[in-house]
Amino acid sequence: MLDKLVNGFESYLFRHRAFVIFLFTLATIFLGLQASNLKMDAAFVKNIPLNHSYMQTYLKHQKQFGGANSIMVAVEDTSGNIFNANFFDTLKNVHDQLFFIPGVDRAQVKSLFSPSTRFTEVVEDGFAGGPVIPADFSTTEYGLKVVQGNIEKAGIVGRLIAEDYSAAMVSAQLMDFDPQTGEALDTLAFAAQLEEQLREQYETDAIKIHIIGFAKMAGDVADGAKGVLLFFLIAILVTAVMVYFFSKSVALTILPLVCSLVAVIWQLGLLTVVGFGLDPMSILIPFLVFAIGVSHSVQMINAVRRRVTDGQTTKAAAALAFRSLLIPGGVALLSDTIGFMTLLAIDIGIIRELAISASLGVAVIILTNLMLLPLLISYTKVSPNHEQQPAANPIWLKLSKFATLKYAVWVLAITAVLYAVGLQQANKMKVGDLQGGAPALHLDSRYNQDTFFITDKFSITTDVMTVIVEAFPEACTYHSVLTQIDEFEWLVGNTPGVESTASLASVAKRVNAGFNEGNPKWSVLPRTTASLVQAVGQVPTTSGLLNSDCSVMPVYLFLEDHKAETIEPVIAKVNELKLKMDNEQIQFKLASGPVGVMAATNEAVAEAQLPMMLYVYGAVFILCLISFRSLRATIAVILPLYVVSTLAQALMTQLDIGLAVSTLPVIALGVGIGVDYGIYILSTMAVRLRDGMPVQQAYYEALVERGSAVIFTGLTLAIGVSTWFFSALKFQMDMGILLTFMFLVNMLGAIIILPAIAALFWRQPK
Amino acid sequence: MSFRMLRFISIVSVFSLFHSVPVLAQEKNLKQQIQPLAANSLILDIANNQQTMVAVGERGHAFVFNKTWQQVNTPTDALLTKVFFISPLKGWAVGHDATILHTADGGQSWQLQMQSAEIEKPFLDVLFFNEQEGVAVGAYGLFYRTLDGGNTWNSEYHQELLFEEDVAYLEELKAEDEALYLSERSTLLPHFNRIIPVTNNTLLMVGELGLVATSLDKGHTWLKQDFLYEGSLFNAAVIESTAFVMGLRGNVFVSDLKLTEWSKVNLPVNSTINAGLRLGERTLRAVGNGGVIIDITTTGESQLVEQRQGENLVAIAEDSEGNIWVAGNKGLIKLEQK
Repeated sequence: MLDKLVNGFESYLFRHRAFVIFLFTLATIFLGLQASNLKMDAAFVKNIPLNHSYMQTYLKHQKQFGGANSIMVAVEDTSGNIFNANFFDTLKNVHDQLFFIPGVDRAQVKSLFSPSTRFTEVVEDGFAGGPVIPADFSTTEYGLKVVQGNIEKAGIVGRLIAEDYSAAMVSAQLMDFDPQTGEALDTLAFAAQLEEQLREQYETDAIKIHIIGFAKMAGDVADGAKGVLLFFLIAILVTAVMVYFFSKSVALTILPLVCSLVAVIWQLGLLTVVGFGLDPMSILIPFLVFAIGVSHSVQMINAVRRRVTDGQTTKAAAALAFRSLLIPGGVALLSDTIGFMTLLAIDIGIIRELAISASLGVAVIILTNLMLLPLLISYTKVSPNHEQQPAANPIWLKLSKFATLKYAVWVLAITAVLYAVGLQQANKMKVGDLQGGAPALHLDSRYNQDTFFITDKFSITTDVMTVIVEAFPEACTYHSVLTQIDEFEWLVGNTPGVESTASLASVAKRVNAGFNEGNPKWSVLPRTTASLVQAVGQVPTTSGLLNSDCSVMPVYLFLEDHKAETIEPVIAKVNELKLKMDNEQIQFKLASGPVGVMAATNEAVAEAQLPMMLYVYGAVFILCLISFRSLRATIAVILPLYVVSTLAQALMTQLDIGLAVSTLPVIALGVGIGVDYGIYILSTMAVRLRDGMPVQQAYYEALVERGSAVIFTGLTLAIGVSTWFFSALKFQMDMGILLTFMFLVNMLGAIIILPAIAALFWRQPK
Repeated sequence: MSFRMLRFISIVSVFSLFHSVPVLAQEKNLKQQIQPLAANSLILDIANNQQTMVAVGERGHAFVFNKTWQQVNTPTDALLTKVFFISPLKGWAVGHDATILHTADGGQSWQLQMQSAEIEKPFLDVLFFNEQEGVAVGAYGLFYRTLDGGNTWNSEYHQELLFEEDVAYLEELKAEDEALYLSERSTLLPHFNRIIPVTNNTLLMVGELGLVATSLDKGHTWLKQDFLYEGSLFNAAVIESTAFVMGLRGNVFVSDLKLTEWSKVNLPVNSTINAGLRLGERTLRAVGNGGVIIDITTTGESQLVEQRQGENLVAIAEDSEGNIWVAGNKGLIKLEQK
């Protein structure tokens, strides 16, 4: 029945082949135009699990305590001492320049030179103070000495001045919208301006400029992502050379590449049609689509060539190849698609987008490479392959020995050992980012080096987690409430990995000491409401320590880094304290701040891993069962896949690659695509085994028919993604390594482990 | 003593309020008090009890020095301001919420002798004359005495240390409004920041508003000295025949042991000086806010030894090996020898 349908479809397509090609051309032009509108899109919310309870807290208080979009510029004097005229002139210039860059909230630009930078000192009759840089400031020795004294009184060392006086900070908040045009801030353009107007203009041998902040990081990531275009060209070139070696024909090299590129164009165009942008993570998909397209094309060329060699005309051979490959190729691509679709179950926007765009791309290949390609080939003149057909291919003969019991036992034993070792390593796989700095970028990138400089020299860190204390209006005037916050802050602060903490409670204690002549013996929360209000009243809402009616008071936890192993004990401690301290009046809520977001993401990713694997394997299992109608065959295909994904997890442990938003989908992609090899090999074998052919013979014939295509496919896919090793973006490199591993080793699994299992399952009765 | 000064002595105006002592320790998880960062958080005093050193600080933290500082449990989480030992084993620590703790084993374990959060005043110093008799002093003229080793503590009100105009004001108020009189009376005395023995029978007490007072009868009566400075004095020390008082904004004064003729020491910085340690026969090593460490001689010369950025130093002590320890908002720190 199905065969009849395929045959009818084939004769219809090939009868109207010019018209069908014309339709394909129209569609390609349309989608190509759409694809040209594709925008880089790196929206922050796509990267976070919005339904996670932490993110609910985050979103609820984001407006009040957001302020995450800040930029910090550290101006360093390479001599190690900032008190010289040149430095102060440069610092002033940097301050003024940053002030005038569009998008900067001018009221919030802070440095030594901002008028709000003042010092206060306790004197006999109260407080005295003034601006740190006096109105009559000049860069004379005396002027600098006065400033140095004021800096110490102002208590800004560590914040605006490096702890060792080797650098000074200019910081600013960014506005989400340009006040003049009303347009959303163009983060990438802003990042470029920082580079041009600050770094290029003021960096000299004596002065170094270090810039960090979300906008700068987004800019650097986007710059890094641009390198992808080059990788894509390299991947095309290398693939072209390989296809040529395989096909020995220019036409048969160009056509598969063209069809695969058409698939990429369609996929990108469809992205725009469904309203998605391209972000640095889903840039991976075009590579995969291209590589999968080429590998299926190679099966097609192989099939056409064999039939031409058998004496058919090119057109007839193309039609027959279409007929024979539509079902197995379609099933393989469909299983890829379903494998990707399982990623939709994960509640992180960017992974869902990846799932949709990958599914689209792979589905498109069914049209471009299983239909368009044979139609295009039918117009060419394929020469028969005369050099092939030696009596017996020695390589395939050797490989086929894996399908004998004698070798199979060894293969399976080694596989079992590898699996055992792999499993042990895989269990040690860590969740989250395992390195310091901005996880998207390499450790030695300028941005991360700047981050390390600033966190090292200043008592500033970007690794902040915020616990939000929700209480009742005017709660901060109650001694009992602040005491609880103080106790909470202290106990969490004693968790390893927490470097320092801040909250309204600890600040109020210092303010109270200030009101008592700066005597540290008064660093307490006053029990008298009037004194408490006096202390708390000194803390403005802009400090981020309280909201306007002080019913919400965040506790800031500054962590050593944002590695999962650092975050987890802190989260555990907070949860332990919550159990004891939460009541109707006051609740400690996880979590906000950059590390709070990461914690939520880590938890979501860790939770998603098992279901994702179950879905992917479930989908592949059912598809195999349907196409083979044999449990034995299904197990023979899936078992090697499972061993390889375990080994991939072990590799992650070995290479210090954490399970993250970027690496979570890799196993699903690897399994979804890896199953193709097994399906191709076993589908040829299955027919012969059913006819009672010995396993080794069946496997040998499968190798002759599909072997070179399978190996070629593995190599093509691996080459397509291995160019990512050289990406400026750390997560692209991680994905590249893991996918290359999955593609290559799955291929080996299909030609070594699969026949060994088959040898065991279809033992010949003696 | 001049006739003029005699006028200031008002004889024995002690109002004793018997205070029921063993306040139930707030129920708290003792395990939670021992924390890794306790020795790096606010610590306000270090005492040397001839065998070892004991330090106290925020959240009722207490430490015993035994090669390293080991935290021990206490039955309070109030900020402890001062610790004093009369013998290697027996000592007392005082602090906020009018807390008094006692140890009989050199600081290893502590019992609560008094705590009264409701009077809303901290004790700032404690001094024992022998194992039975001692006084604890604090904010707003807080003054308690024990005659039985701290089993019972009784309040005293040292009216003689009121300012003359305040005395008149209180007299007036007493007639008009008894309740307001009592509340005003409890806040009009200056903070008593430090009480030390100067000679066998002379006590020196310093405090807020340039308070320098002496007593010849174990603190039952006080004579307020005319003093040339009106800011707060936080500490006092004696080296040989020289007395030092230290206070706000680099105000340090020296006098002979008659304690009547004070002269100001010029310091290289104007940071508040919180404490001092005797180094040899003529040098006081003083520490203060802004992390200053200053050597001051009995003859009034001074020299900045070190300035520790971002620190407020409140206490200084020497261990048996001659290492100098300071304490403050960053906890206990051993100084590099200089």
